[in-house]
Amino acid sequence: MTSNNGESVGARTCVASQFFKDDKAIDMTTSEKVVDLLNQAALIATDSKLTVLKQVQELIINKDPSLLDNFLDEIIAFQTDKSMEVRKFVIGFIEEACKRDNELLLRLIANLNMLLKDESVNVVKKAILTFTQLYKVALQWFVRSKVMSEMQEACWDMVTQMKEDILAMLDIDNDGVRTHAIKFTESLIITLSPRTSDSDTPKRQEGDISLDKIPKDHPYIRYDTLCEEGKSALEQLLKFMVHPAISSINLTTALGSLATLARQRPMFMSEVVQAYETLHANLPPTLAKSQVSSVRKNLKLHLLAVLKHPCSLEFQGQISTLLLDLGMSQNEIARNTPAPREQRKRPRIEPYSDGKKLKMEPVLLEDDDDKEEPVAPSVSKPSSVPAAQSAIDLTAEFLRPLLSPENVANLVLISMVYLPDVMPASFQATYTPVESAGTDAQIKHLARLMATQMTAAEIGPGETSKDLLIKRKVPVVGQAISVVGGGYTEKSQLETPQVKRLPEPILPSTQIKMPGASGKRKVFRLADVVQPFTDAQLEKMTNTAVKRILHSEKAIAQSGMSHVRVKLLSRLVCQFEGIMMDDVLEFILEDIRTRIDLAFSLLYQEYNTYLSQQPAGLLDAYDHCLFTLLAGLQEKPEQRDGLFTKLVLEAPLITESALDVIRRYCEDESRVYLGMTTLKELIIKRPSRQFQYLHVLLDLSSHEKEKVRSNALSFIKRMYEKDQLRDYIEKFALNYMQLLVHPNPPSLLFSADKDTEVASPWTEETVRQCLYLYLSLLPLNHRLVHELASVYTEAIADIKRSVLRVIEQPIRGMGMNSPDLLLLVENCPKGAETLVTRCLHILTDKVPPSPELVERVRDLYHKRVPDVRFLIPVINGLEKKEVIQALPKLIKLNPVVVKEVFNRLLGTQHSKTPVPSSPALFTFLLMEMIPPTSTATNLCFGERNVYTSEVLAVVMQQLMEHSPLPILLMRTVIQSLTMYPRLGGFVMNILSRLIVKQVWKYPKVWEGFVKCCQRTKPQSYSVLLQLPPAQLTSVFERCPEMREPLLQHVHSFTPHQQAHITASVMTVLEANSKQPEPEAMRPVMAERKVMGSGGTHVFCSVCH
Amino acid sequence: MPSHPLRVAVVCSSNQNRSMEAHNILSKRGFDVRSFGTGSHVKLPGPAPDKPNVYDFKTTYEQMYNDLVRKDKELYTQNGILHMLDRNKRIKSRPERFQSCKEQFDLVITCEERVYDQVLEDLSSREQETFTPVHVINVDIQDNHEEATLGAFLICELCQCIQHTDDMENEMDELLQEFEDKSNRPFLHTVCFY
Repeated sequence: MTSNNGESVGARTCVASQFFKDDKAIDMTTSEKVVDLLNQAALIATDSKLTVLKQVQELIINKDPSLLDNFLDEIIAFQTDKSMEVRKFVIGFIEEACKRDNELLLRLIANLNMLLKDESVNVVKKAILTFTQLYKVALQWFVRSKVMSEMQEACWDMVTQMKEDILAMLDIDNDGVRTHAIKFTESLIITLSPRTSDSDTPKRQEGDISLDKIPKDHPYIRYDTLCEEGKSALEQLLKFMVHPAISSINLTTALGSLATLARQRPMFMSEVVQAYETLHANLPPTLAKSQVSSVRKNLKLHLLAVLKHPCSLEFQGQISTLLLDLGMSQNEIARNTPAPREQRKRPRIEPYSDGKKLKMEPVLLEDDDDKEEPVAPSVSKPSSVPAAQSAIDLTAEFLRPLLSPENVANLVLISMVYLPDVMPASFQATYTPVESAGTDAQIKHLARLMATQMTAAEIGPGETSKDLLIKRKVPVVGQAISVVGGGYTEKSQLETPQVKRLPEPILPSTQIKMPGASGKRKVFRLADVVQPFTDAQLEKMTNTAVKRILHSEKAIAQSGMSHVRVKLLSRLVCQFEGIMMDDVLEFILEDIRTRIDLAFSLLYQEYNTYLSQQPAGLLDAYDHCLFTLLAGLQEKPEQRDGLFTKLVLEAPLITESALDVIRRYCEDESRVYLGMTTLKELIIKRPSRQFQYLHVLLDLSSHEKEKVRSNALSFIKRMYEKDQLRDYIEKFALNYMQLLVHPNPPSLLFSADKDTEVASPWTEETVRQCLYLYLSLLPLNHRLVHELASVYTEAIADIKRSVLRVIEQPIRGMGMNSPDLLLLVENCPKGAETLVTRCLHILTDKVPPSPELVERVRDLYHKRVPDVRFLIPVINGLEKKEVIQALPKLIKLNPVVVKEVFNRLLGTQHSKTPVPSSPALFTFLLMEMIPPTSTATNLCFGERNVYTSEVLAVVMQQLMEHSPLPILLMRTVIQSLTMYPRLGGFVMNILSRLIVKQVWKYPKVWEGFVKCCQRTKPQSYSVLLQLPPAQLTSVFERCPEMREPLLQHVHSFTPHQQAHITASVMTVLEANSKQPEPEAMRPVMAERKVMGSGGTHVFCSVCH
Repeated sequence: MPSHPLRVAVVCSSNQNRSMEAHNILSKRGFDVRSFGTGSHVKLPGPAPDKPNVYDFKTTYEQMYNDLVRKDKELYTQNGILHMLDRNKRIKSRPERFQSCKEQFDLVITCEERVYDQVLEDLSSREQETFTPVHVINVDIQDNHEEATLGAFLICELCQCIQHTDDMENEMDELLQEFEDKSNRPFLHTVCFY
């Protein structure tokens, strides 16, 4: 043990392997190396652990086997390792160790047994592989040691037990493990059967033990037992193969195993070929298409392998037929067929089981049927009667003469009925057109195919004869009893010798049997054989009978008797009080379109039953029937064919639960229209219960889904036109609205799942719910509006708000000419003022108020409720005087309201095109009435699209013509000028005219005048020059800074112009400076004229 | 899942195009892969359909390459043969014949039905010893460069799926069915034993 390499595990591995490879570690014995390696292995990760362990294995098995015993326990300890790979290594080690030293089997077999039951399938598979080898090793070893110790016996028992365990794994549900189990079975069968001279044994297995090497006098290992075990294994394998749900891989594996068996143990060839035949005729239905082709390919491959074996001679007929079926050409088959020289050898096949000699010769001579066998002309006497004539052969023989064209045609016709709708993948893949139809060979093949099937089903003369044989044998051969319990393969194996020996009595015996049986026939008495059925049996039979009628739909339809079937079914179902009802209903619902007849028939039958039991009759059955049908239809996806409607309208009676289904149908958004149309039809066409149906529709009018609701409302509106329904609808609507007076929403407003124990407060939603119907009726019947008013007065504030929000549409729909609405305005119940105001607003929102409406409002305002807010909606329609009266009050309201008032007055609400006179007039009123509120003017000026420059020009014109001059005149002028600078010329004109009007007499206006001049200099100079000197002085007093520029201005005049300036003016101008030149005064006038005409021009353009 | 990487053999007839393409991709994805041909000779397209270039399996790719360059460089550049040989020689030195290889695999993938038959025939003619199963799967691939590339990816995906199964043998059937549905081509599948 080296102590110096303690760095890392990896490094140690390297060092160790180096030691191992170079073999330089002279100072270490092999034993020490192993110890070191094992110590490492215990610590390191799986990958390197495997490397290390493999080194150990190499050391102790090949290099120095003497160490094997010493380290066995250490290595075996790894069998509990977490890693599956390590456990697999241990298995491999066990195999190697046992092969090296058979003694170790005694110690290791139990470990292998443990690993065979490992949780990992991969370990189990490896264990099976190893056991496959070790079984042979063990057997050989035990056979060699003549005297067996107790331990050896126990070991052999365990081996036998393990063998059984693995055979049982053929039924395990892991595909891979099954595959391995099959291979084990194959190897086991070969070991447990005798090698014969014609065995095709691979070189490597030359030395392997087989049954023939086992002494019959061994103290512990019994030849007979092993022989039986081998046969039973073969039987299990064959049984496994015919499992209908076998996986394709298992099947492939088994096919290969059988081929191996046939080649290595030609004595089994008969079973193998037969198994191939059976398989070919019955490929498992579970295989997919590509799997079928894989399996067929394998079958072909293995058949060829079997065919190549010399002993295949007697099966050549069958094999080549199969190969032909699998798509191989005659030539190819011929090429792979061995030369017939083997024929002579054939009798040498030794029956191994109990030494009974087969007597072939008589059988051979008997055969003359195969002369026409076209398969392999090279074989003079091919496929003679098989050595072992099995049940299949017997049945085939029996069938052959029966296969006349007529019979075959009948068979085909009969079996047509059982053909599946879709061609199975296996058939599709295997089908090849029959080339040689009608030839003898083909008939023979057909007979064999059928025989295979019949034998599988345990019918036919072959089977019968077998049974007979067993019976006969009982007294003669005692051991045969044990055979009876086995599968048929074993039977045929045992019986075939008998068949050979006594070929004659078997076939006749079937005929003899008949009279024998009939001789014992008793006098027939019905009472002896019949027993009354139990109730359960009766019920079962009834059910199945009805089911048969039910499902024979197509067949009956073809014969044109559908109506009888329908009648029969409905009566049966009714009579048996609904036992079958659900099945039938389900059946109808599967395809109700074509089965609607049955549905109606059933409904009416049930209804009839109900009527006939009056007055005590119960509707339950009918109700159940109708309900199930409707509910079934409702649950089905979209259908446009109106079956639902048809069913509802034609049902003799609509029950409560059916009505529920209709209701649910209506609630389905995708079907709401169809559902409600149906409901409408019901209401109209079934007057006796129309209110019941109407109620459902009305209920839906407050549904939470918008689509449902709107549909319901539009349907109701149509119904409302019908006199007999009107009252009911109206009452319902009013009742519903009446709910609003409750302090909390009543529970009927909620769907069942949303209703709460504690009353919830009103919400917008619940309020709307109460009103939907009412509001949609309102435009149709204006009288209803008064009810709203009375409810409104009683309702709480929240509800009031909601109501105000929702009434817009209907009120507008009513229009302002509605007498009822006018009446409402006129009466205006106490507490409903807000409602009335809201109505007025809604009405006048888009159109100007009608005189009538104005009249009512005025009346209301003056006589009953002097609230100025009433006037706002109709303000446009009021007299000027009234407006003027109201304005002061209006202005005091909050700015939003004021704005609305102005909007209305300015006409912005109703039309986009401004009406010039109206705003101009208003401005005028404004100037006159409310001088202090410049906010109002600001508001007006804010409306630029109303107050265009043109309009303002008109306003100014009008204001100026007013006498006395309005106080806000100059303010307006200045403001207009600020907004529209291009009005400058016009403003100058105004100013000039103001001078004519002696503007200085109005102090406020004069002040504005000066300000305006100040703002508009130098344009305003010419205006200033027109002022009388006293006023000019006044101007200069107010703003002295004007004087100098004005003087400058005058000085710039031409002398002619200067001539127009009066001297007094000049004096004022020059108060503090030099005299102006007199000639400069004249042109000013001209200038002024020009400007005046310019201003007029502006004015004119404004007027146009 | 087996802890060791899947031992894969890819087999086509000449071990040139389809098997090498798959060999290339699979080895890049970390598989323990070898490639083989099953034909008696290596055949490469020649100047005319009836005049193929025939080599035996001992000829290296390098030698073939040089031979073809000598014969008609332009032709063999144009039909991609030189490019293919160039790729091949960087993977291994010479084509290998499946029948002469005694190594054991977990999975053998063949590229056409004829090759599948030959592989099966070879495997079943060998003497069975350990009974270790080997799965043989046929994926039909046409023998041209495009199909070879597509086929190689399919094979690679298949191998990856198989590598990732917990219990390969138990899940193989289902896996192949899924692949058949997905790739819309049938797979032949069988199991042989060493």
